[in-house]
Amino acid sequence: MEFEFTLKFTLTTDSPGVDELVECLGAAGCEDALVGIGQSGRIALDFTREAGSAKEAIFSALADVKRAIPVARLLEVTPDFVGLTDVAELVGVSRQNMRKLALAHKESFPAAVHEGSATLWHLSPVLKWLGEFANYSIKQSLLDVAHIAMQINLAKEASQIERQVQRELLELVA
Amino acid sequence: MSRVRHPKKDIEEAIRHAEVHGWRVEIGGSHAWGKMYCPYNDAECRCGEFCIASIWSTPKNPGNHARQLKRVVDNCTTRKREADTAKQESDSEE
Repeated sequence: MEFEFTLKFTLTTDSPGVDELVECLGAAGCEDALVGIGQSGRIALDFTREAGSAKEAIFSALADVKRAIPVARLLEVTPDFVGLTDVAELVGVSRQNMRKLALAHKESFPAAVHEGSATLWHLSPVLKWLGEFANYSIKQSLLDVAHIAMQINLAKEASQIERQVQRELLELVA
Repeated sequence: MSRVRHPKKDIEEAIRHAEVHGWRVEIGGSHAWGKMYCPYNDAECRCGEFCIASIWSTPKNPGNHARQLKRVVDNCTTRKREADTAKQESDSEE
């Protein structure tokens, strides 16, 4: 099956030039990704990868990039953090419809990760909700990619938790 | 047309689609065939990384690579906004 996802990385100031990085990525088997180099200090890879599972696709892609550019630090796997407009685009419904659905089912609709001038959700629970409660047919590959992307982003963020804080917090948020 | 053609037909078509929308194409590289540059470079742009996109010489799947390139051009926020405005204007004329 083919899986579509994007990996975003930060580069260090002593990284080689972008043309050289792109050649390294090509040699490491990333020729199934579109490489974006429009922002200095960043590199993004939009993959369409053939694999047995979403996990295999994303993990092998991470390994390929690591081999090509050892100094690259993972910033984000997408699609994961989304607004309702993004969800609407991914699922193929209008933004207005998506808003209506969310407002009409406030109790069961997944809670946002952040509410403010921009409101964000993790995509995975929203897709599951759309499939289970609203009878939308969501592509299995998208469901799987969103699930793994969320797991990786959570793991990456969690690595920044200070030990002491984690110990005290575990009891409070459980 | 002065530049060299991309050997894969699908990708050449995607590159022309980009050029029609004002993207500049630069050739060079080994695994890379070249790069394409977005014509806009304004503060409201949210595309970021993909405002410059690398084009492979021999991608794993030419059809997929062509689709990826086309998607970057079609997803450009500046272009989308202009297309929306144009649509609204033509709608109101009807």
